[in-house]
Amino acid sequence: MLKKQLILRDPLSSLGYETDETEKKGNFGAVTSRAGVGKTAFLVQIAISSLLKDKNVLHISIQDPVEKVNLWYKELFLNLTQSHDAKESKQLWEALLTKRFIMTFETESFDFTKLINRIDELSSQGIFVPKLIIIDGLSLDNSMQSELNTLKEYAAINNFTIWFSVRTHRHQTDDPVTILQRLGGNSNFLFNMIIQLLPLKDKIQVKRLPLTGELNDRPALLIDPSTMMIKETTKK
Amino acid sequence: MNNLKQNVRNIGISAHIDSGKTTLTERFLYLTKKIHRIHEVRGKDGVGATMDSMELEKERGITIASAATYCQWKNHEVNIIDTPGHVDFTIEVERALRVLDGAILVLCSVGGVQSQSITVDQQMKRYQVPCIAFINKCDRSGADPFRVIDQLREKLNHNAVPIQIPIGLEADLDGIIDLISMKAVYFDGEFGDIIRIEEIPDSLMETALEKREELVDAASIFSDELTEAVIEESEIPDKLLIQAIRQGTLQRELTPVVMGSAYKNKGIQLVLDAANEFLPSPMEVDNEGLNLDDNEEPITLTGKKEDPLVALAFKLEEGQFGQLTYIRVYQGELNKGDTCVNVRTGKKIKIGRIVRMHSDQMEDVEKIEAGYIGALFGVDCVSGDTFTAPGISVSMTSMHVPDPVISLSIKAKDNSSETSMAKALNRFTKEDPTFQTFVSNETGETIISGMGELHLEVYIERMRREYKAEIITGEPSVAYRETITCNTPFDYTHKKQTGGAGQYGRIAGFMEPVAEEDFIFENKITGGSIPTQYISSCEKGFVSCLAKGPWLKYPVTGVKIVINDGAAHSVDSSEMAFQAAARGAFQQAYFKARPVLHEPIMKVVIETPAEFQGNVMGSLNQRRGMIIGSHDVGQITAIESEVPLSEMFGYSTTLRSMTQGKANFTMEFSSYKQVPKSVLEAIEKKNEKKTRTGT
Repeated sequence: MLKKQLILRDPLSSLGYETDETEKKGNFGAVTSRAGVGKTAFLVQIAISSLLKDKNVLHISIQDPVEKVNLWYKELFLNLTQSHDAKESKQLWEALLTKRFIMTFETESFDFTKLINRIDELSSQGIFVPKLIIIDGLSLDNSMQSELNTLKEYAAINNFTIWFSVRTHRHQTDDPVTILQRLGGNSNFLFNMIIQLLPLKDKIQVKRLPLTGELNDRPALLIDPSTMMIKETTKK
Repeated sequence: MNNLKQNVRNIGISAHIDSGKTTLTERFLYLTKKIHRIHEVRGKDGVGATMDSMELEKERGITIASAATYCQWKNHEVNIIDTPGHVDFTIEVERALRVLDGAILVLCSVGGVQSQSITVDQQMKRYQVPCIAFINKCDRSGADPFRVIDQLREKLNHNAVPIQIPIGLEADLDGIIDLISMKAVYFDGEFGDIIRIEEIPDSLMETALEKREELVDAASIFSDELTEAVIEESEIPDKLLIQAIRQGTLQRELTPVVMGSAYKNKGIQLVLDAANEFLPSPMEVDNEGLNLDDNEEPITLTGKKEDPLVALAFKLEEGQFGQLTYIRVYQGELNKGDTCVNVRTGKKIKIGRIVRMHSDQMEDVEKIEAGYIGALFGVDCVSGDTFTAPGISVSMTSMHVPDPVISLSIKAKDNSSETSMAKALNRFTKEDPTFQTFVSNETGETIISGMGELHLEVYIERMRREYKAEIITGEPSVAYRETITCNTPFDYTHKKQTGGAGQYGRIAGFMEPVAEEDFIFENKITGGSIPTQYISSCEKGFVSCLAKGPWLKYPVTGVKIVINDGAAHSVDSSEMAFQAAARGAFQQAYFKARPVLHEPIMKVVIETPAEFQGNVMGSLNQRRGMIIGSHDVGQITAIESEVPLSEMFGYSTTLRSMTQGKANFTMEFSSYKQVPKSVLEAIEKKNEKKTRTGT
């Protein structure tokens, strides 16, 4: 019962994404904003929604220790279930934990080959087979073109989607879609879903960015910065 | 005894196992001329380090009991408690931290911040102990003190700032640059006891200037005078910088980091200097006691020697002259010949011999003043007792003692071993509150319980060695618990009429699960349906059912009983009848309340070379472990998981063989969780078999 209620609060469907986009194997998504706006919190909400749908989530964090990542999940889950029965929430939380795996790397010790090896190892030994992968804290740049393309192929073969956090900087004049478009190389566009977080006065706006050829007719969402939970939908 | 209390330091040395705490203490004692030779922990001379006074510690190269000792360094009196590094002995670390004013957190420059360092750090936070960090083993291959400083910041959230940088690293470690005096310090002589101070080598000048700027920057937050000096770009006197760092350290907002190699005798004098300069004296620490005359309200102890005595017995040891009680005086003074009161028992105690300890050697003294640590002979008490002057009733804050999670049955081989075993158990239970023992009513076996396999193993080994008791051990068993899951009413009448006075009592109410307490009893009887004098008998009856659950015979926890109706008979009702009625009511409702079995779950952290991580994770999965995550640091992967204790027996052997001995793990209690159905069936079967065979 609780699970069903919580699934209805899926942030991606609130932004108008269809299941065949969010669950399509090999699809890449990006949550982009400046530092400190709430990329991790939003990604964790995407992950929790996936866990609620019984999909295994592999959360990869560059820099943050396992305990800190776990704390993000714990806090956001608590915020999500605040008004529900504590006992039922606890049981659900314990069930979700078995479907989540946190993998953290120091910046200098991370590389895509190592990541693919790790995922291979986990899957082949039947320890953990992910359906969604979150990669948080990695600075993506144009030098990673070939690795990202390989990763996308690998994701398609192994049947999972990947969401990245992408940090933008004040000095960047290009919009996030253009920046991300460059990452794929000349003709290959890697990202299928792009979400932008924009800080407003006392809230954060969540916008689904239209990809080339798409219409920008999606309603934006608002996040309460104190809980990082979705508050309401804004008018277009 | 040094009479300047501001020059006293009560410090602990805590860290991960094998990061060199005992070696460091040994060097302290040598440099402060308390010992005249250095013996290594695993030295070839077979003597072992001075602080590892127990034979077993010497053999295994680990510190088990915290030995207290004192020394003098540059007009300061330093009392040192050497604390154990293994999680199984955490109570020892906690006890030490309770009586300490400051601590040195020892970290390995190769291993960095390991899981045990995190546990120890949490304990330091709990007791608000200011600390400095010493990055040891800078002479080892792979040493990187700056990586460890980053880990201190990221993993432990310390505002860690180096006050030194090394001159060379690994095999080239030559000396240390002191960023306060901006001098290079070299340690000459066989044991590094000859200090040579020189100018900073040109090659390191730039780094030294950069790191000093960072240090001044971090310290300036704690001193307006220093900030002014920085803004005015005037020269910063050493004293001003030291004062600012000290201020930050005392507030636990800055952690000065020193570095070196205890084994190679480099930098040790500077660690002692840092302890003197940055860690607090007893006068700078507020200690609280509980006022027993005012509903245990906390009161701050004055720390003045003129005020009535308040002292805490924090450790007991059995020596050749009888029981030795380590004591910290918080207020007043304890003189030879004084009479004081043990607050727990209310008994008066005459103080005979007072000594100051130096590992297992001692020195007689006349008194111990507030702020000092010493030891008493011939005092009958248990660890954690408070001694006060007659007429005041203050108890020191009770220490957090975790419940044991594992038990083992033990049996003496012969009569003489039995007497020795009894003696040993009596002493160990007094010394260590997490180690408990009792005799099973059913089997007559002696059961010992504690915090882990190694914890129990060490005590069995000590019985063999120190008491010459030959012990046979049984299978270890886990401390399962039964609990209920739903609200269930009861209405039970106990009625017996067998000639003579009968028995009558009726109890009605309900039982429900409760998360935060083991047992709650609530009386909601109105109108006297059960007379007041029988209410406590009802509670007693329910309590008697908790020790052994009606289902699998494990202790029952997390139960709330509410009684709201009942009936009594003017002649046949008695305390006994209501106790029996309560037992009947409990039995009646218990199975309807859908009981479940809970088992202890341990937080297990395994550090393994990356190439073995798949196998290690597989082994955890096989043991019903839930892997929370993994953290890659260079070639090492730390795997965090939660595993049922019942699956962890013998894991160290499995892990060793699986990883060619290259992985290690730590384990500590995390929580109780429900036993899955498949495992439950096996436990039920085992229990049935036990009942049938009567073992």
